[in-house]
Amino acid sequence: MPLINLPVFAGDLLADFERMETLRVDTPVIQPAEPFLDMAGEDLRRRIFLTQSETGENLCLRPEFTIPVCLRHIETATGTPQRYAYLGEVFRQRREGSSEFYQAGIEDLGEPDTARADARAVSDAMQVLANRLPGRRLKVTLGDQSVFEAVIAACGLPGGWQKRLIHAFGEPKQLQKLLAELADPTSAGVFGHEVERLAITGMLEDEDRLVAQIGRTMEATGYSTNASRSPRDIARRLKEKMELANTRLDKATLAVMREFLTVDLPLADAPAALFRFAAKSGLKIEAALALFDARVAALSRAGADISLIRYRAAFGRPLDYYTGLVFEIEVEGMAAVLAGGGRFDRLLTLLGAREHIPAVGFSLWLDRIEQAVAAARGTK
Amino acid sequence: MTITIAVPSKGRMKDDASAIFERAGMKIVAVGNDRSYRGRVEGWDDVEIAFLSASEISREIGSGSVDFGVTGEDLVREGIADADARVEFCARLGFGRADVVVAVPEVWYDVDTMADLGDVAADFRARHGRRLAIATKYWRLTQQFFSGSHGIQLYRIVESLGATEGAPASGSADIIVDITSTGSTLKANHLKILSDGVILRSEACLVRARKAAHAGDPLIDRITAAIRAAL
Repeated sequence: MPLINLPVFAGDLLADFERMETLRVDTPVIQPAEPFLDMAGEDLRRRIFLTQSETGENLCLRPEFTIPVCLRHIETATGTPQRYAYLGEVFRQRREGSSEFYQAGIEDLGEPDTARADARAVSDAMQVLANRLPGRRLKVTLGDQSVFEAVIAACGLPGGWQKRLIHAFGEPKQLQKLLAELADPTSAGVFGHEVERLAITGMLEDEDRLVAQIGRTMEATGYSTNASRSPRDIARRLKEKMELANTRLDKATLAVMREFLTVDLPLADAPAALFRFAAKSGLKIEAALALFDARVAALSRAGADISLIRYRAAFGRPLDYYTGLVFEIEVEGMAAVLAGGGRFDRLLTLLGAREHIPAVGFSLWLDRIEQAVAAARGTK
Repeated sequence: MTITIAVPSKGRMKDDASAIFERAGMKIVAVGNDRSYRGRVEGWDDVEIAFLSASEISREIGSGSVDFGVTGEDLVREGIADADARVEFCARLGFGRADVVVAVPEVWYDVDTMADLGDVAADFRARHGRRLAIATKYWRLTQQFFSGSHGIQLYRIVESLGATEGAPASGSADIIVDITSTGSTLKANHLKILSDGVILRSEACLVRARKAAHAGDPLIDRITAAIRAAL
């Protein structure tokens, strides 16, 4: 066997991608670090390789492909829809395994038919894995943030709570903690002395007076009224917070949400089960369920083996650019995610695209797939 | 085996550390002149003293190039990944007390808890076109506290190596994570500490690098016991 890093199946994989009507794209290994830190958060900083240019610009070694591919798409002003495929090295500090390894994947940008594009991403990922691991049973986990969002909106929760819950979606512990807090607040919101004083002077009843007062305080204390949160931002959120302080999540709603979050069943059964759940709990979530149902149908049409897919209602990714579908693929007998993907309709706008570009994609962990291939060979 | 103890090379920290060592029967004397960076302990021939700055001490303990050090817990937890696995906090020395805290402008009347801050951070980008910016020199502590303890991911750290408390007023950041002992500097800059915003209650500690060679060395226990007895 040649002593090279590139997985032996790289060529076959690229041939698969070509059959899947994609445009092969490469991106520079050295990337501006800001977009990654901005999108994924500061947590990423410990896991990427950062350096600075002579002019002080933060640069990093490409930690993944999605952001570079999207940036490239925006820069080159290529039309949509466009399906890109990539294969190359990425660099991350990991607890286990090498810190430079290969990833490959497909990013599908600008396809207006959401269900079709979602189904294609899942079925393409399953197909390329099945081609590398013939005869091995894949395990696909699928989640959908838009169903969760529809459920909490239909429960009639206040906007502030909805935002908090959506933000915690995909982090089961945070989400359970938050639900418990909303159901049984330990304190009715914490307010400083200043708020009591404002309440006594009647300032809190009148938003405009409050805004003016906050503006005066900012000027008097040397704070700019437009560099950070504006007086109106503060006044509005204070009002929202005071309203929430007197509200709590009622038991029935909590039970409905908890029930929803425990849903975990074969995808084929999921649409019917979700419709039954909606009917029983009286939630108006038809639009989200229609899309969910259409996606399942599109998956069947795309030729994916649906019996390998499970739907888990609580499965998500806690990043604010993920908007709908998320999925992960493992192979039976190995506890490692070989492929992961999802829909990120907000990412391109956040990265500076002028028009809204819906997007969905997946990436493959080639080093783990190699291990799976080797393990499969060993057992034969 | 010779054991090296790193102690602060100047200021209050040096005086307070020396006083405790003297009470422990481990009087520190400089080798050569007063400005020397090496010292010894009277009557403890197999102990060496290295006078270093507090931040160097945390680094040297992290790399294991000294055996013990006297330095602030904040510097150790900030400077060393997975600190509890790599060092042992042998004794809390009762001086150099200061808290690492999350502070926001006083005029943010709607923000008094980390949960409030999480709400503000969540849609900061939608409102202001950028992430919530935190000025701090405590990268690691900030990340652990925000992401690990409070599930807040959406913020950016703006490195600040001095006068951090001025960053919100000057507009270079929205909030700060900084160290404070009396809170007076925060107050002077119209900042308030969140009710659950204390990340770490720090003080000077006797810290030991966890080294294999220490196992079964009676000198290690003697030093720890002597310092503990002096507190």
